[in-house]
Amino acid sequence: MALERWILRFRSLVSLALILAVWQGVAMLELGPRKYFPPIPDVAAGFWSMLLSGELLAGDSLTLGRALVGIVGSSLIGIGLALLGEMVPAFRSAFRPIAAIVQPIPPAALVPMAIFMLGLGFKLYAFVIILVTIWPPYLNGAAALAAVGDVEVKTGRMLGLSERDILFRIKLPAAWPEIFAGIRYAATISLIAVVVAEMLAGRDGLGFMLIRKAFATRIPEVYALMFVCAFNGVVLNALINLLRWRITGWHMRMTERTP
Amino acid sequence: METMLEARELAKSYGTGAGALKILDGISFSVKKGEFVSIVGPSGCGKTTLLMALAGLLKPDAGAVSFKGKVLTGPSAGIAVVFQDYSRSLFAWKSNLENVVFGMIRNTTLSKAEKRAKGRELLAAVGLDGFADHYPWQLSGGMQQRVAIARGLASESELLLLDEPLAAVDAQTRADMQDLLLELAERFQQTCILVTHDVDEAVYMADRVVVLTRRPTRVDHDIVVDLGDRRDQITTREDPRFLEIRHDVMAAIRRFRAETPLAEKA
Repeated sequence: MALERWILRFRSLVSLALILAVWQGVAMLELGPRKYFPPIPDVAAGFWSMLLSGELLAGDSLTLGRALVGIVGSSLIGIGLALLGEMVPAFRSAFRPIAAIVQPIPPAALVPMAIFMLGLGFKLYAFVIILVTIWPPYLNGAAALAAVGDVEVKTGRMLGLSERDILFRIKLPAAWPEIFAGIRYAATISLIAVVVAEMLAGRDGLGFMLIRKAFATRIPEVYALMFVCAFNGVVLNALINLLRWRITGWHMRMTERTP
Repeated sequence: METMLEARELAKSYGTGAGALKILDGISFSVKKGEFVSIVGPSGCGKTTLLMALAGLLKPDAGAVSFKGKVLTGPSAGIAVVFQDYSRSLFAWKSNLENVVFGMIRNTTLSKAEKRAKGRELLAAVGLDGFADHYPWQLSGGMQQRVAIARGLASESELLLLDEPLAAVDAQTRADMQDLLLELAERFQQTCILVTHDVDEAVYMADRVVVLTRRPTRVDHDIVVDLGDRRDQITTREDPRFLEIRHDVMAAIRRFRAETPLAEKA
């Protein structure tokens, strides 16, 4: 009982420890070639050396920064388009085929042409990330806004609200939980898209470092960078959760109230 | 007494051409200030359609609704609807107090603090003292409907349109809520129109019961409930006159049921 509570309390640390333990076990039993599957202390040493040289912080701050700017931009644009679609139904139906065509394009496919047109700078990353991450906030937002019930809307009408007020004071608040589900999903995609774009555009950031270390067969450092990629996901998710709690805390409490 | 609401020859169909479904077929009745009128009818007779037209939420194909002598063209200040589905009508992202205060959105004379004070008074009036900062989803169904009623009153309604407001609450809560509604109607000088399928409830609460026919719907009977102003869950329901009126209303509705071909009941 006490153990169970302890595990629950530190569940993220416990699962991390479990992963590391399994990793170490596999490496020590040499289930994989030792060269390509180094034990944890080697990976940690690789991490440490990159941290000391400063290249890790410099690279990761670029990667995280790009992902963050991308997710903020695509969330704002996605929500804006969803609101526009709710105000102008013709826009929503016209936009549907565009979404269907653009959405399945993988980020890597966008990069070559984007390099030609936008160069290797910030514009490239903004373009690629926004184009691949805009869909979850947009699609969730559009569906959630359209799904707001008749009774909620009628309640607003009886109180004399304009269509605009109904959209912003009733439909949007009701849709926030779904929109945040989309944003959280998009955040994961944005991290993937940034790293892929950095690998292909090849100038800086974690993706660039991964490729360079891999070609130099500095295997422990490659693994260390993979851990950093995973850690970035945790950081981005935590940042989004702060905002999500502020805006949809009511919903989180409502869904988590099971005794 | 002054007329609060008048429906004149209301007609409404859904669809067009051969497949058109005529719901309302010339409904006329009026409600005086301070009256409590129940509307009953066989299942599927368009009671809710009628109530939405009375609220100004649905434009009739023909005929008109006048509220205090003015023809309604849409929702109007002074009319509030209490919906059956309280959990959707209340905003889950607002506390109970914020929901009630939202009802005062048309009011531009009260300050924010005054609105909150008035909201607290209204919550106390519906028996929800101490629940102002809870969220609607933390309350039972009956309590949620009380919040919705308080919000209706907060909008300074004179006419409360009650769309089967108690259909989703349990039987005991229902009796308490009936008495609460009667008490609030008197205290806040509300004229009330109650749509319900519960004939006992319709008679118990009302000064008049309007019985509708089946589709296409007209007014079949308009029955005065002469049971006095004080109603009591035990004695009123045992009153021979109550039973007599209940009998008449029930007989009228069942007559339509018997006339309905089996195929249409499904």
